[in-house]
Amino acid sequence: MLQTIAFYLFATLVVASAVMVIMSRNPVHSVLWLILSFFNAAGLMVLVGAEFIAMLLVIVYVGAVAVLFLFVVMMLDIDFASMRAGFVRNAPLGIAIALVLLAELVLGIGAYRAGALILGTPDGTAAPLLFESNIESIGALLYSRYLFLFESAGIILLVAMIGAIVLTHRERPAAHRRAHQDIGKQVRRNPKEATFNASPEIGKGIDL
Amino acid sequence: MDFGNYLALIAPELLISISGLVLLLVAAWVGDSAARPISILAALVLGVACFMVGPALFDGASGPDTNAFAGQFRADGFAAFAKMLIYLSGIACLMIAPAFFERLGAMRAEYPILILFSVLGTGIMVSSGNLITLYIGLELNSLAAYVLASFLRNDGRSAEAGLKYFILGALASGILLYGMSLVYGFTGTTDFTLIRAAMTLELSTGALFGLIFVLAGLAFKIAAVPFHMWTPDVYEGAPTPVTTFFASAPKVAAVALTVRVSLDAFGLQADAWRQIVIFAALASIVLGALGAIGQDNLKRLLAYSSINNVGFILIGLAAGTPQGASAVLVYLAIYVVMTIGSFVAILMLRDADGNYVENIRDIAGLSRAKPLIALILAGMMLSLAGLPPMFGFWGKFVVFQAAVQADLILLAALGIAASVIGAFYYLKVVKVMFFDEPAGVVQGRSETGHWVLLIGTAIIVSPLGYLLTIPLGLLADRAAVSLSLLP
Amino acid sequence: MIGIEHFIVVSAILFVLGVLGIFLNRKNIIVILMAIELILLAVNINLVAFSAFLGDLTGQIFAMFVLTVAAGEAAIGLAILVIYFRSRGTIAVQDANRMKG
Repeated sequence: MLQTIAFYLFATLVVASAVMVIMSRNPVHSVLWLILSFFNAAGLMVLVGAEFIAMLLVIVYVGAVAVLFLFVVMMLDIDFASMRAGFVRNAPLGIAIALVLLAELVLGIGAYRAGALILGTPDGTAAPLLFESNIESIGALLYSRYLFLFESAGIILLVAMIGAIVLTHRERPAAHRRAHQDIGKQVRRNPKEATFNASPEIGKGIDL
Repeated sequence: MDFGNYLALIAPELLISISGLVLLLVAAWVGDSAARPISILAALVLGVACFMVGPALFDGASGPDTNAFAGQFRADGFAAFAKMLIYLSGIACLMIAPAFFERLGAMRAEYPILILFSVLGTGIMVSSGNLITLYIGLELNSLAAYVLASFLRNDGRSAEAGLKYFILGALASGILLYGMSLVYGFTGTTDFTLIRAAMTLELSTGALFGLIFVLAGLAFKIAAVPFHMWTPDVYEGAPTPVTTFFASAPKVAAVALTVRVSLDAFGLQADAWRQIVIFAALASIVLGALGAIGQDNLKRLLAYSSINNVGFILIGLAAGTPQGASAVLVYLAIYVVMTIGSFVAILMLRDADGNYVENIRDIAGLSRAKPLIALILAGMMLSLAGLPPMFGFWGKFVVFQAAVQADLILLAALGIAASVIGAFYYLKVVKVMFFDEPAGVVQGRSETGHWVLLIGTAIIVSPLGYLLTIPLGLLADRAAVSLSLLP
Repeated sequence: MIGIEHFIVVSAILFVLGVLGIFLNRKNIIVILMAIELILLAVNINLVAFSAFLGDLTGQIFAMFVLTVAAGEAAIGLAILVIYFRSRGTIAVQDANRMKG
C-alpha cells in the first residue's frame, strides 16, 4: 500500500515537473524543474530496488544539471533583480515544493524499507541476482561480463573531455601570458636577490 | 574461449585506442606543431589496423569463434569488410586534412586523435552483437563527430553545423535508445542472437514499437528520408575534410550496423520492417534527386547525392537476403571511393586568395583552367549518377539484381526510373565545367597527397574499376554469409 | 497493484514530453538540451523498470552506460553552445539560419 502511494506521488511529480521544464518561460526555472523531475525519477527507481542507479542519477544528473544552470546564468541576460522581487510571490510555491520533497523522502524510505515492488511475473529466462545487494551485483557484472563496454565507456568520457577542451580552450595572447603565475620562480626567490639596500641622496630617489 | 582469445579478436580496436592515447600524450606535450607528424602516425596506425582485419576479411570468418565478450563483440567477415572501408577512408581523411587546416591557421594536434577515436567508435559499431555495444560504439563515433563538425571554432558556419548535428543527433540517439529499451523489455535480452530467437513468434506490440524506433534512430544516422534534413546543412557547414569523413566512415558504419540489426536481430521479422525500408529507400532516392536541383553549393549538392545513394543502398537491404547484404557492401565500397574522390576534387579548388571554392558558378569553364581536375570531377559526378561506363553503375546494378531476385521487381523498376531524374543534375555540373564561359576563379597548385588520392580514386571509379568486380563481389559474398542468416 | 505497465506509461509520457519540448521550444537551445535529458530519463526509467520486471541486471547496466554517455554528451553540447555563442552572441534557435536549413 505504501509503495502504491509512493509510486503515484513520484509518477505524478515526475510528469508534472517535466511539463514545467518545457513550458516555463525562464530557463533558470526549467533547470530547477528538471532537477525536481530527476529526484522523482530516482524515487521511482528506488521503488523497484535499483538503488544504485537511483543514487547515480541524483549525483551525476544533478551535478551535470548544476553545470547547465551555471551556463544559463552566464550566457543569458537574466534580470536577477526581478527574480529577487518575485521571491515573496513565489515563496508559497517554494515552501509547498519543499514540503512535498520532505514527504517524498519519508515515503520513499518507508517504501524502500517495505521491500522492492514486484512487477508482475516475468516469463523470460531471467538471470537471478548474483548477490544480495544491488550495488554488489552490478559491480560483479560490470567488471567481468561487461568489461569491454566499461572500458569503451571510459574512452567516450575521454573523447568528451578532449572535445570540450579543444572547442573552448583559448590560448591567451602573449601579452597576457606574462602575467601568469610561475610557482617555480616564486619558490626560487631568496632574500639576497629579491631585496637590496640603497641609500639615495636626498631629493634623488632610485630607479627600480 | 579465454580472455586471451578475446583480446586477439579486438586487436585492431586495442591498437587504435592505445595509439590514440599515446598520440594524445604527444599532442599534449609537443603542442599543435606536432599536428602533421601525428596525422602521419595516425594514418600509419590505421594502415596497420587494415592488415589486422585482413585475415578475417579474406577468410570470411564466421561462427562462434568470432564472438568476444559473451557475444557483445563480433569480429566476423562482415565486420572486417566494413572496417577495411572505414580504416581506408579514415586514412584518406587524415591525408587531406593538414593542408586544409594549415591554410586556415586552424590545424590542431587533436584532429587526428579525434578521427582515430571516431574510427574506433565506428569499428565497435560494425562489430556489435549487442544493443549496448551498438549504443557505445555509436556514441563514441558521434561525440567525436560533433566536435569535428565544429572544429573551425571561429567560423560561424562550422559552429552552427556542429550545433545542428548535435541537437538532431542527440534526438536520434534518444529515439534509438527508447526503441532499444522497448526491445530489451519485450524480448528480455540485449543480445542480437537472443533477440532474434525471441522474435520467432508473433511480434508483441511493444517489441514492434521498439523495432520501429530503433530503425528510425538508425535512419537518422545513415541520413535516409525522412530523417535526412540535417545532412545538407552539416555537410555544407563542416570543414571539408570533416565532411569527407562524415560522408565515408560513419556512413559505412551506420549502414553496416543497420544491415546487421535488421538482418540479424530483427531478421525473422523482415515483414515488419520491409515496408518501412522500401518507403525510406524510394523517398531517399526521389528527395535526394529533387533536392539537388537548385543547389549552388557543391558540398550541399554532394549531401543530396549521399541521401540519394543511401536510398539505393536501402534497396539492397529491402531484399533481406544474403545476396542483398552482399550488394549493399559492394555498393558501399564503390560509394566510399566516389565520395572521397569528389570531396578531394572540391578541396583542390581554390581562388587566387587561397580561399576554397564551393560555389558551382565559380567552377564554370573549369576544363580550361584545370583540365585534369575537371575531367575527374565530371567522372565522379557521372559515377554518382550511376551512368553506365563509370564504376558507380556497377553498384546500382548489383543492388537492383538483388532486389529483382528477392521478387521486388516493382521496387527495382521505380529505383531505376528515379535514378534517371537524379542524373539530370549531375549532368548540369558537367555542362557548367566544360561548356560555360570560364569564370577564371580557380587558381593555385595542389598538394601531392591530394593528387595521389584524386588519381587513385579516379582510376577505381573509371571503367578500369570493373576489373575489381569479381574480387569485390567474392569478398562481399563471404562477408554477407558470415552474418549467419540461418533461420 | 503497481505493475510494469505503470512504469511504461510514465516513461512514455516523459519521452513524448521530451520530443515535444524539442519541437515546441524554438526559443533557446538550453531548453532543447534539457528536453533531450528528459528523453534519456524516460529511457532510464524504462530500462530500470524492465530490469526489475525481468529479474535481469542487464537493464540496470545499460542504464548506467546511458547515464555515462549522457554526461559526456551534455559536456560536448555545452562546449558547442559556447563557441556558437562566441561567434554569434546569442543562443536563440531562430538565429541558426546562416545556412538554408
